Amino acid sequence: MTVTLSDIVMQYPGTRALDHVDVDFLFSEVHGLIGENGAGKTTLVSILGGSRQPTSGTIAIAGVETALASAGDALAKGIAHVSQEGSLVPGLSAAQNILLGDEPRLGLGIIDARALKRRAAELLARWFPQVTIDLDAAVDTLPMADQKVIEIIRALRGDMRLLILDEPTATLPAREKENLWRIIRSLPPRGVGVVLVSHFLSEVKALSDRITVLRDGRHVTTLPAAEVSEAQLVDFMLQRAGKTAASGEATGAPRASGDIVLEIADWRVGGVSADHFTIRTGEIVGMIGLTGAGHFGFARSLYTGEGFLSGQTRFGGQPLSRIDARGMKARGVAFIPDHRMENSLIGEWSVRENLAMVHPQAGAHAGVLSTGKEEKAARAAMALFNVKAHSPEQRIQDLSGGNKQKVSIGKWLYGATERYRLMIFVEPTEGVDIGAKREIHRHIQRLAGEGAAIIVASSDLMEVADIADRVVPFVQGRAGPALERSEFSEARFIAAMAGDPQ
Amino acid sequence: MTAQARPLVEAKEASSRKSRDQWLLKYSTLLALLLLFLGFALTVDRFLTTSNLLNIVQQISMLTIVGAGLTFGFAAREMDLSVGYTVGLSGILVPLMLISGVPLPIALLGAVAAGFAVGAINSLLVTLIGIPSLIATLATGSILYGINFMSTGGRAIYGGLPDGYLFLGQGQILGIPVLAYAMVLFVLVAWFLMERTIFGRYIYAVGGNLKAAELSGVNGRFYRSAALVVCSLFAALAGALLAARLGSGQPNAGERYLLDGLATVFIGMTMIRPGTATVTGTFFGALFIGVINNGLNLVGMDTYVQSIVKGLIILVAVAIVSRTTKLKLL
Repeated sequence: MTVTLSDIVMQYPGTRALDHVDVDFLFSEVHGLIGENGAGKTTLVSILGGSRQPTSGTIAIAGVETALASAGDALAKGIAHVSQEGSLVPGLSAAQNILLGDEPRLGLGIIDARALKRRAAELLARWFPQVTIDLDAAVDTLPMADQKVIEIIRALRGDMRLLILDEPTATLPAREKENLWRIIRSLPPRGVGVVLVSHFLSEVKALSDRITVLRDGRHVTTLPAAEVSEAQLVDFMLQRAGKTAASGEATGAPRASGDIVLEIADWRVGGVSADHFTIRTGEIVGMIGLTGAGHFGFARSLYTGEGFLSGQTRFGGQPLSRIDARGMKARGVAFIPDHRMENSLIGEWSVRENLAMVHPQAGAHAGVLSTGKEEKAARAAMALFNVKAHSPEQRIQDLSGGNKQKVSIGKWLYGATERYRLMIFVEPTEGVDIGAKREIHRHIQRLAGEGAAIIVASSDLMEVADIADRVVPFVQGRAGPALERSEFSEARFIAAMAGDPQ
Repeated sequence: MTAQARPLVEAKEASSRKSRDQWLLKYSTLLALLLLFLGFALTVDRFLTTSNLLNIVQQISMLTIVGAGLTFGFAAREMDLSVGYTVGLSGILVPLMLISGVPLPIALLGAVAAGFAVGAINSLLVTLIGIPSLIATLATGSILYGINFMSTGGRAIYGGLPDGYLFLGQGQILGIPVLAYAMVLFVLVAWFLMERTIFGRYIYAVGGNLKAAELSGVNGRFYRSAALVVCSLFAALAGALLAARLGSGQPNAGERYLLDGLATVFIGMTMIRPGTATVTGTFFGALFIGVINNGLNLVGMDTYVQSIVKGLIILVAVAIVSRTTKLKLL
């Protein structure tokens, strides 16, 4: 028995999220679904779960063409979607959560508390006899893995044939993951297929019977998990036809690098650990990894200290006991984050006001802001970065992605009186056009040439290959050994991101 | 080609519609104020007289000062619901100090200290403990209410207030009430701070996008606290002036300044920079409330009707702002 999706197209204004995708899901398998952010996984599983309708294409269950008009319709046809964000109601007991919306009643809308407990216990015993969970406990007091089990049992309440699990282990500690893995594996022999969406390749490979890879909205391949290595999967996820990683257009001779600017040892921060990392003046260090590998969070924590647990840090030779944004800014560190509208810009503000955010005193006389002086400084920054706007007074949210990003970088240079010692970029060319991308790369190289140490954490391998002198790969929360420029190749990057020592 | 062209045209129409809406929004409140003013002037004989106009100014001066303080809070996206009771607190404290023989300047410093203390407690609760300002200040307001009544036994404090103090609330200089000068002074100071200093810029920044501001090296906690302190400080000084105007300290005199003060800010948010609280907007908001209160008084409408009218005006103003801008109040 299968669900077959044929020739599925999902067109959004301006982007095609799914481009003629064919894939079938068996009721007797765990089917891994992988791809980088933006590959189309979420869209595909929402179509399968009935919450979105494809622009074109057909869906067939057991060979009979059908429509999945809503999540309720999909449920009625035996397909349940357990989303990534918990859908449990905290404060209610585990049993109440299992039977939420389907409570046994005594009549007059009064819930039969005893029958409810009995039915919940029956469901648990029927599906997972090996699991013991206190069904009377408030669900939010249970371990994360048990909460996930409760969500799964609730989804299995009806007569389900296919269960979509979206990043089920993302929030679980390692010890609890294995329990959930066993539970997932126990479903197909009992006639319930699983579609497993996960960023953890080792997990997908260990759990799945077959794996489907999506890339840029296209179906790349579907193949038995046993016949493919993790490195090959990374290759499928990232490879872009006809392009190689190191495009060679780059930088020529490596810049002479100087003194160590930042040195860290035995860092543990959030879910990431790094044994050792140094960066010198004039050096551009790339940080790469698959989604969820931790490189973005690590780069950010070097500026904010967010999630810092333990480790030693030296900046300019001096030991630091504490890392926070204001302190690092005062030491000459700039941080240009990803998701610029969320982390960097104020949408209702003008270009001028956004540019003046980091060093407003540059547009002030003795602490009094002067619009004229600000405008002059803003025009200088706009000229330097070639920001296209009607005027410095235009609202930032009306600019294109590339121009917004230039402002997000330019605001650090507006009114800066001293050179930065360290500049940290996360996804510096996220959602910008190719022209703006080249300009941003040139600025990064120029700033390095002027003596700044630069970190570029990026999901764009070509970008890193083009501008970095050295690349640190991150694998599932660990910083791996760095690759030198002479070793750059797509194959090496991919192997490093899959955690393959070569 | 046509298939692609249509959305573009629609987008263009939508954006010109949007900019027209924005323009209308910016000036519709001023227009409404003007119509209201003309309406009263034509229908109520005593409205358009020098003494009544000065009366309006006098009536709105404390309200404007409270509203100007609240503007700092709104700009930083912090709400202060304790301002009414802070007005009451210093409106009791200053007369009490004066009656017990404290010189006027020291008594006024006492009001400053009281405002600062309330603001410091509010901001401690909000930025260090992490209670949302709406709830924290609701609670501190309730506490202040209790203190105000406990410390006075619910009775007004009067008799023996020095002339210099009463002059602040009731006197005139060159035919214009002293309160009007005070209002202009506070509005100018608030406007200057918000529009012309880095301090004000950063208050707007933490309200506009706290994360972006903090990642730019701005001390979010400091500016959110500062905004709450300004709310209380302005309210306390308004309270000192209010007691001088009334000639007595009354424990419940400040209560109406909460709702009216919020109303001035909401009305102000429909103009200047729609969706953003500005000092200029708040000033016009106070004028709006003042004209309505005064006009309805003159035609003999009782206070309950005024309350209904004000409630409706607040709803209309907030409805306009939240439907036309991406307003996030909390």
